[in-house]
Amino acid sequence: MSTADKQIPRPAELDLEFFQAATSTGELHVQKCADCSDHHHPPRLYCPRCFSDRYVFEKVSGRGTVYSYTVSHFTTEKAWKDEVPWATIVVQLDEGPRLVGTARGIDPGAIRIGLPVRVVTETVTDDFAYLWVEADAGAEPEKTGNERAEEAR
Amino acid sequence: MTASTSGHPLSGRAAIVGIGETGYVRGADETVLEMVLGASMAAIRDAGLTPADIDGILPPPGFVAWDEIAAHLGIPDVRYTSTPQMGGASPTAALTTAMMAIASGVAETILVPIGWNGYSALRPRPDAKPSKRRFSAAFFETVRNYYGPYGLRSAPWWYSLYLQRYVELYDVPPEAPGAVAVAARKHAQLRPNALMHGRAMTMDDYLASPYITEPLRKFDCCVETDCAAAVVVTSAERARDLPHRPVLLLGGAEGHANPAHELTNRADVLDLGLSRAAPRAFEMAGVTARDMDFLQIYDCFTHVVLLQLEALGLAERGGAPDLVKGGALELGGAYPLNTAGGMLSQGHCWGLNLVVEAARQLRHDAGDAQVHGAELGLVTGYGDLGDGSIVILGRG
Ligand SMILES: [Zn+2]
Repeated sequence: MSTADKQIPRPAELDLEFFQAATSTGELHVQKCADCSDHHHPPRLYCPRCFSDRYVFEKVSGRGTVYSYTVSHFTTEKAWKDEVPWATIVVQLDEGPRLVGTARGIDPGAIRIGLPVRVVTETVTDDFAYLWVEADAGAEPEKTGNERAEEAR
Repeated sequence: MTASTSGHPLSGRAAIVGIGETGYVRGADETVLEMVLGASMAAIRDAGLTPADIDGILPPPGFVAWDEIAAHLGIPDVRYTSTPQMGGASPTAALTTAMMAIASGVAETILVPIGWNGYSALRPRPDAKPSKRRFSAAFFETVRNYYGPYGLRSAPWWYSLYLQRYVELYDVPPEAPGAVAVAARKHAQLRPNALMHGRAMTMDDYLASPYITEPLRKFDCCVETDCAAAVVVTSAERARDLPHRPVLLLGGAEGHANPAHELTNRADVLDLGLSRAAPRAFEMAGVTARDMDFLQIYDCFTHVVLLQLEALGLAERGGAPDLVKGGALELGGAYPLNTAGGMLSQGHCWGLNLVVEAARQLRHDAGDAQVHGAELGLVTGYGDLGDGSIVILGRG
């Protein structure tokens, strides 16, 4: 799968700062409050925790777990017709915020909540980085909800 | 007669006195503006009034503005106008605004219209008049930057991002959303103006329908239609002199998840705006969800109905699948749902068709779909990325 022909946005204002932090370094950054250190996403002009307007975009590992996901079997978009079924994952980053990205190298049928994953950025334009979600080989697999339920029985 | 018992200063002060709707079709002959004006004029006439009696307009976001409605209908003196910015939750939210405006004396008789080319905007007929009407909202910027690049172009794909978590965490069986879809389709068979009138659907049909994006199957999704609807609201005093039995607004509220402009970064992604709105509306009305004779729930997608049943307090989190078993949502069941077929089977009119149907039920004018002796009912709205609204209605 590639970003060719996909819908590439032209972000503006604060969202642009989020993407440029990634495109200028090749690494994922998320917004962090300069006063209380809370991470949040999408970025905001005032911290939702302490209401400060001072922030930085801080490099993060991209590591986290599957919070939710969808496997898409149908699309009206030409660029996605050859990709079905493809999976989109909501990643719960270790730092707190959640990011949405396309699963790469993961069998859509094997995705479960709690699966360790890693967000990887791909610079597409100066102003936009695509977010890919890959299996996190280095992590100890966390038990899924189903496995926990199985053990409880 | 259902009088307000809550003592809340807004409860029972205003009433729906006129209703209007177009057909629910794919490929309308009329433009969006023509449909909106047609439904509006039908509602004004149904109320026994003329456009000169209207002094407030609460139009939807995006498509048509209050000033062109006023100009085309010949409304001479608009005293109040405002537009909720809540997508599909807007029409129901506007009814709460109408209660406030009428009870405070800012306006007396208010038109709440909506209409759109939900089918034809993307698939215009070759002979269609040119139209530039397109819905737009501020949250589209979130979609463009954070969902769109991943092939998540519209509502089924956005909402699936949190609905799959609901299904996996609570082991929601497909028969639960299926029960919502089957009930709506059954009720649509009683309404000739429903898009799916004459097209029956069984649970087996539902289970055989293909996935669009998991957990949403084709038959979990509402039907895109060209349509318009409108209601007229006035004071409870004036309502007594008008032709139809008044439908009293006993309670109303809106609520929003935090943050409202993005779906996936909420502390609890299953916490809908309605989770916050519903307790406020029930308190205003002095009733609970179990007092309702019927439910008109914004059914853009079946799983969203299940979550709203829980937000209304009818079931614990994860409890809706049990609640909907055994035909509970069908006429004759404990919680008759969307008795005209809803957006799943009548047509997608931003939920205002649910308000029109609720008014018919409380007038005892719902024909074969009448809930016997209906005195109380509710309508919910769900819009954009989970905004919620609700009104509680009583037979006046
Ligand atoms: Zn802070």
